[in-house]
Amino acid sequence: MASKIVFGKWESISLLAVLMSTQIFLGFPRLMVEAAGTGAWLLVIYAAVLAMLLFAVISKLYSPFEGKDIIDIGGLAGGNAGRIITGSIFLLYLIFIVSVSLREYAENMRIIYLNVTPISFVEMFFLAGMIAGAFMGIESIVRLGAILAPVIAVGFFMITFGIYPYYDFSKIFPVLGSGVNNIFLRGFSKISVFSAISILFLIAPFLKTNKNFKVTGYASIGISAVMLTWSSLINILAFDYPAALERLMPVFQMARLVNLGRFFQRVESLFMIAWAVSGFLYLSAVFFFIAYVFRKTFKLEYYRPVIFPFATLVFTISLMPPNVITATRLEIDYFRNYVWIISFVLPIVVLLIARARIKASKTGGAENA
Amino acid sequence: MAGLKDTLKRLLFFREPEKIEKFILKENSTDRKIPETSITNDDLQNKEEQKNREKNETQNKKKNEDLLLKNSGKEKQDAQKNKKKESEDKSEISTSLSDNLEYMKKIYTVPINGDVVIREFKITFKDKTVDAFIIFIDGMTNGTVINTNMLQPLMLLSNLNIKDVSEGLEEHIKNRLVPHNQLKIFRSYKDVIDQINFGGCGLFVDGIDVAYAADAKGWEHRGVERPNTEMVIRGPQEGFTEVLRANTALVRKILKDEDLIVEDIAVGKRSRTPCAILYIKDITNDSLVEEVRKRIKSIRVDYVLDSGELEQYIEESSFLPAPQIFATERPDRVAYMLAQGRVAVIVHGSPFALVMPVTGTDLVHSAEDVYIRFPYATLLRLIRILGIFMALLLPGFYVAITNYHQEMIPTDLIFAISASREKVPFPSVVEILIMEVSFELIREAGIRIPGPIGPTLGIIGALILGQAAVAANIVSPILIIIVAVTGIGSFAVPNFSLAFAFRIMRFAFIFLGAAIGFLGITTGVFVMGIALCAAKSFGVPFMAPFGPRTAGSFANQIIRAPIWKQEKRDDYVNPKDIRRQAKISRGWIKRSPGKEGKGGK
Repeated sequence: MASKIVFGKWESISLLAVLMSTQIFLGFPRLMVEAAGTGAWLLVIYAAVLAMLLFAVISKLYSPFEGKDIIDIGGLAGGNAGRIITGSIFLLYLIFIVSVSLREYAENMRIIYLNVTPISFVEMFFLAGMIAGAFMGIESIVRLGAILAPVIAVGFFMITFGIYPYYDFSKIFPVLGSGVNNIFLRGFSKISVFSAISILFLIAPFLKTNKNFKVTGYASIGISAVMLTWSSLINILAFDYPAALERLMPVFQMARLVNLGRFFQRVESLFMIAWAVSGFLYLSAVFFFIAYVFRKTFKLEYYRPVIFPFATLVFTISLMPPNVITATRLEIDYFRNYVWIISFVLPIVVLLIARARIKASKTGGAENA
Repeated sequence: MAGLKDTLKRLLFFREPEKIEKFILKENSTDRKIPETSITNDDLQNKEEQKNREKNETQNKKKNEDLLLKNSGKEKQDAQKNKKKESEDKSEISTSLSDNLEYMKKIYTVPINGDVVIREFKITFKDKTVDAFIIFIDGMTNGTVINTNMLQPLMLLSNLNIKDVSEGLEEHIKNRLVPHNQLKIFRSYKDVIDQINFGGCGLFVDGIDVAYAADAKGWEHRGVERPNTEMVIRGPQEGFTEVLRANTALVRKILKDEDLIVEDIAVGKRSRTPCAILYIKDITNDSLVEEVRKRIKSIRVDYVLDSGELEQYIEESSFLPAPQIFATERPDRVAYMLAQGRVAVIVHGSPFALVMPVTGTDLVHSAEDVYIRFPYATLLRLIRILGIFMALLLPGFYVAITNYHQEMIPTDLIFAISASREKVPFPSVVEILIMEVSFELIREAGIRIPGPIGPTLGIIGALILGQAAVAANIVSPILIIIVAVTGIGSFAVPNFSLAFAFRIMRFAFIFLGAAIGFLGITTGVFVMGIALCAAKSFGVPFMAPFGPRTAGSFANQIIRAPIWKQEKRDDYVNPKDIRRQAKISRGWIKRSPGKEGKGGK
C-alpha cells in the first residue's frame, strides 16, 4: 500500500524544509549564539555547506538504490539483522527527538500564556494532532505541509521584518564571534541542525526517482539554511549579544517587539498560531515515521495498531525531565551534538556496506558462472 | 448500551481493516499497473510466499468443493427457487391475450389500484379482428397522446384497406398503425412494466408474444424557474426542475455538443428511479466515468427519491464534514463543469444535479464568477474566504482572546469589552453558546415556519436576541456583533452543504478556544486540515491543486486570472484534452509579421 503513495517535489521539499526549520521557533537562534557568539549566522552557513557536501556524498552512494529507504538498504547490507539494527537506531533517535520536542513545544506554550496549566494537559493537545496526523498517514501530512509551509514562512518573515526598527548592524561585530575555532572546528557538530535530512532517507520510496531524491535534499537544505541563517542574523541584530544569549524563545521575543501602530501592539499570539502549526507538522511527521520505521523494521503489515502504544510511550518519556531547562539541555547537549552521527554517518556506513555486498555478490556470481 | 460498547471496542482495540481497493483517478486505465523497477531479495521472498499461499488456497478450494458437493442438495433447491423467482420476474410475454391481461391485473392489483387504467379494444388485421388492450397509469400519462397516437389509429386506421399486408401483425402495428414517435417493442413483462411505471402506455395484442410501450408522459410538474439557492445577478436565470428529460435538455441546450453523452441508468430495486450520467466523451477521463457508473450500479436499495440520497450512497466518506460531491440547481454550472472534464448525475425528481469530482476550491466558487470580469470575481472569492473564516473561527477566537490572550486586545477596546461584560453573570463561553444555539434555532425555525409568519419570527428573534438579551444582562452587546458577523459569514458560503459543515465545526472551535486558547484552535485547524488533505472525491484529492500541488491549475482557484489566461482544464481531473483554449485565444490580438512598425506610426 505504502509504495503506491508518491509525493511531488514541492510536497517533499516543503515537508523537509519545515522539519529542518521548525527549530527556529524553539531555542535554535540562542543555541547558535551560545556556540559562536556574534558569528552565529556564519556558523549556520558553515554547517549548511558541510551538510550539502555530506549529502552530495550520500546521494552519490544512494544512486544504485533508487526507490529504497535506509531500512531496505540496511536489509541489503546485513540481511534481517542489518535491517533490524538500522531500524532500531532510527527508531530510538526518532522517539527521543519527538519526546523532547513535544515537551519543548508544550513548555513554550506554558511560558507564553498557559502559565498555570499542567504540562500534561498542554501536551495532550499536541499529542492529539500527532495521532491524527499519523493515523491519516504521511500523504495527508505532506499535503498539509505543502499548503502550510508558505504560510509559516510568511509568518516568520513578517516577524523578522516587523522588528526592523530594532536592527542595529553594529551588533554584528565581531563578525567571527567567539572565534574561528568555535565556528569552523567545534562548529562541525552543529551540522546536526540539518539532522532532519534523515527523514529524506525514509521517504525515498515515495519520491521514486534518484533525481527527485537529490533535488529534494539540496532544495530543502538550501531553503532551511536561508531560514536558519536569517533567524540567527536577526537574533544578533535585534538583541545585544548578552540578551541574545538569554532568550529562551528568541523568535517569540521578536514577535513581542512587533508594533503595528497604536492599535496592534501585542500580536504575538497570532504569530503563535504559525509556530504551533509548524510544531504540529514537525511532531506528526516525525511521529508517523516512528510507527512507519517500526512497521518496516519488523515487517508488520499495518502501522496503525502501533500508533497508540507509541503515543503513550512518547507522552511518558516527554514527562520524564523535571523541568524545561532539563528538557532543553537534553536536546542541546546530547541530541544537537551527536545526532549527526545517525543522520549522516550511519547512512554513509550502511550505504558503503550495502554497495560492497552487492559488488561482492556480483563478482561472486560472475566467478561461479 | 450495546452500541456504546461496540464504539468503545472499536476505539480501543485494533480491528484488521477490510481490504478495499480505493479508486485512484489515473490519466488512463493502463496506468493502473505499476511497473516493477527492480527485483530484490524481498520481492523474491514475497513471490515464494505468494506461491505457497496460492498452493494452500487451491488445496483449500478442493476441500471446500468436496464439502460443497456434499451439502449442495439444499443449496441447489434454494438456487432453483431463486431462479424460478427471477424467471417469474422476467417471464416472457405470452401469445395469449387473456394470460397477459390476467398477469398485468395481478401485477398492478387491479381493480384495487384506482389509477391503473386498462382499456380493451379490437384491431382489424387482414380481415380478421384481433383483441388487444392498453394499460397506463392515470395522472402520469397524457390522455390526448394516448387517444390520438394509440387508440385512434389502432381502432380506426386498422380498418383501412392497406395494400401491402405481407408483413406480420407485430411489424404491421409498429410500421403501419401506431404513429407514435417513441414506440418500443419488449418481450418481457418487466421491461414493459418499467415503462408503464414511468409514464408509458403498454399495448398488448392477442396472438403475438411481444408488447409495445409508447412514451406518453404527462404528469404535473413545475416549470423551469429561477434557481432558489444559487441566485446570480449576471448570468442565466434558469434552474433545474424535477423532470429528468427537461433537465438533460437544459444542459444540452447550453453545451450543444454531440460529444455530450447522456447515459440513462435506473437506481433502486423498487423505485427504478431514472437517472442520467452526463459527460463529454472526448474530454472526461474514461476511468472517472466508469467509476461513477460502477458506484451507481452497485447501489442495492429499494427506493432512491432524490439526488441527496444518491449523493450519500456514492460519496467517498460519510464522516467527513465537507461534501465530496457538488450539488447544484443551475444547468449552466453543470455545463461549465462538464466542459472542465467532470461527470454529472441527474436524478429524476430532484432539481439538484450532482457533479463529481469536486475539490475544496470548487465549493468556494459561485456560478457568477465565470460571467464577471476577473478582478470582481477575485474580490468576491476573497470575501467569501473571509466569510468562511468568520463563520468557522470568529466565535472560537472571541472566546480564546477574552479568556487567554487579553494582551492582544488594544487597551481602549478591552475597557469597552470589560465594561459591557460587567453585569453579565456567565463566562464568555456560556454566553456565546447561548447566542449561537438561539441563532441556530431561529435559522431552523425560519425555514420551517409558514411563509406569512416568517417576518414575525425575524422580528421576535431580533427583539429577543438583540435588545432584550442585552437589556436583561444575559449577553454583552459585543457578543451580539460577534454572532451576527458569524451568521453573515456563514451566509456568504456559496455551497449549502459546506455552510452546514462550518456551522457544525464552529461549535468544536468554541470548545477548543475555551479549553486552551489559540493552541486549541490550532489543534482543531490542524486536525481538520489533515482530514481534508486525506479526503478524496472520486479519486481526486480534496485539497488539490494546493495539496497535492498540480500543474497549471492556479489560474482559476482562489485568485481568478483573466479569461484568456485560463488556458488549461484542471490537471487533477486528468482530462483527455487538457487545453481548453488556444495559447492566443483572442485571435484579434495576434499581430501579423512585418506589420509591427505600422501600428505605431
